Amino acid sequence: MTAMTKPITQTTPSVSEKAKSMPLWKQITMMTWRNLVVIRRTPASVIPGLMISVFFLFIYEASLSGAATFFLAGQSYLAFILPVSIISASLSGSGLAGQYIVRDIENGYFDKLLLTPISRIALLSGPVFAGAFMLAVQTALILGVAMLMGLESATGFAGILAVLGFGLLLGTGFAGFGVSVALLTGSAAATSGASFAFFPLTFLTATFVPINLLEGWLKTAAEWNPITYVLQATRSILLEGWNWEYIGQGLIACAILGVIPFVISLWALRQRTSRK
Amino acid sequence: MSSRQIIVENLKKRYEGDFYAVNDVSFLVNAGEIFGFLGPNGAGKSTTVTMLTTLALPTSGKAHVGGYDIVHQAQQVRRIAGVALQDIGLDPVMKSMELLVTQGQLFGMSRMDAIKRAKELLELVRLSEFTDRPVGKYSGGMRRRLDLAMALVHKPEILFLDEPTTGLDPASRRDVWAEVRRLNVQEGMTIFLTTQYLEEADELADRIAIINAGKIAVEGQPAELKAALGAESINVTFGDNPTVEKARDALQSMVDRAQIDRKTLRLYLQNAAYAIPNVVNKLNELQLQPLSLTLTQPTLDDVFLQVTGQRFEEETEDEAPVEAVA
Repeated sequence: MTAMTKPITQTTPSVSEKAKSMPLWKQITMMTWRNLVVIRRTPASVIPGLMISVFFLFIYEASLSGAATFFLAGQSYLAFILPVSIISASLSGSGLAGQYIVRDIENGYFDKLLLTPISRIALLSGPVFAGAFMLAVQTALILGVAMLMGLESATGFAGILAVLGFGLLLGTGFAGFGVSVALLTGSAAATSGASFAFFPLTFLTATFVPINLLEGWLKTAAEWNPITYVLQATRSILLEGWNWEYIGQGLIACAILGVIPFVISLWALRQRTSRK
Repeated sequence: MSSRQIIVENLKKRYEGDFYAVNDVSFLVNAGEIFGFLGPNGAGKSTTVTMLTTLALPTSGKAHVGGYDIVHQAQQVRRIAGVALQDIGLDPVMKSMELLVTQGQLFGMSRMDAIKRAKELLELVRLSEFTDRPVGKYSGGMRRRLDLAMALVHKPEILFLDEPTTGLDPASRRDVWAEVRRLNVQEGMTIFLTTQYLEEADELADRIAIINAGKIAVEGQPAELKAALGAESINVTFGDNPTVEKARDALQSMVDRAQIDRKTLRLYLQNAAYAIPNVVNKLNELQLQPLSLTLTQPTLDDVFLQVTGQRFEEETEDEAPVEAVA
């Protein structure tokens, strides 16, 4: 205990350690790759997500296309309902990143990474980009099935790609939500539970009919729900043509649904790493 | 080169409910020494390690690892410290090369260098033949060895090993001991090792600190601590507790110190062997019949008993509070 009396300043190294580190983009690429390797080795985790969104598309199309098409003026109900399918796939798919993180927290690898000089941004964006990749596959599959079902797009193939882009943007941005829950709880159950956030977002909106046909509280909810504007943008692309006002509103909605969860997830990581 | 020292001053960690897992802990680890941090389950060992390795922030107090502040210079601490936590953090579906190369690259090595280093380390921990197998299929001992290799990738100057031999069979345990000594002697690493095995601390550590219920009970060289107990002890075991107490009352004045440990009376004194006849005579005189009588050199176990008033193993089994940090 005698050494305790030595002044602390004496021990600070005079020459600072040369800080070698990987460029950020490389760290992100490596973490994304790492997560994709894990996904490839656990294929069972991917199948349900793929199945369910195609299933929804079939059900909506089959059960509603005959009944409620008076507002479509001869356009296809498939093109009207497809964005719902894409968006619900994006929102539920946005939970993937959180699940990848929770898996690492549970097996302890997350701490191992925290002990390296890895950038916190790379630590979070690796799983998010891996999730985005899976989401792209899933969305492309839905669009492929829709095209086989006879989808016609008012803006051609470019419009279909634009819808894919919207799905990706939304799903990747909203991933921050699942990531935050994963970091704050460290619990797989809570994280997969959080992915049910897609329910209110997908259904408290103009899901099955255009917004002007909604009434009362549902209409109010839909007007406040950013998803309404994403739906409006993607529907207009498929049914009418390039409506830049709608597309602009859709992009703003995606930005809101992306930026807020992202900020929360950075805060959540801080909570996790500092209050443990 | 960092200072390779660890200086800890009044470190505290409070969890919810006003529970102090680490309560005002101070100690010094010199450059190049093996420091044994000894304590039963839940004593605060792992919590101390998570703070020193930057995984958790202290509630109050200061600590420098290699001269770097663990709170404000966490990034520098991570560069010079190698850490093998008690819970081995390896993704079970990944393979040893992937894990080691990723680790190397994150510490700034080129991919080629990282691969070279990974092969070197796999050789060192004798896992070169198992690179095709996902680590989830490894045995406990293999995982432990790979985890040690992970901690060594960036050639740390200070190595933290949190219970490195818990759950290992005796042969693997001796392997780890040999490796720890080699790293210390050949690579000059300062090694901070927590353990709940007295034998391990005795075997490996240049100096030890015993932590109990979040506080440091004693700190020093094992030999010095044992010597401070008064060299040797005569241990007399009786059939029941009242007899032990009677014997203590009768013999206390003849020895330096007498202590009851369950049904055994421990009598500490210099040149204990010469005192045996007197002890036996006294017991005969009082007609106290011992079950056994032994003479022992003091062990760290005795040190622990002396400083905490409890038996080390007993504490471990019976009233180990839940370790607050995994």
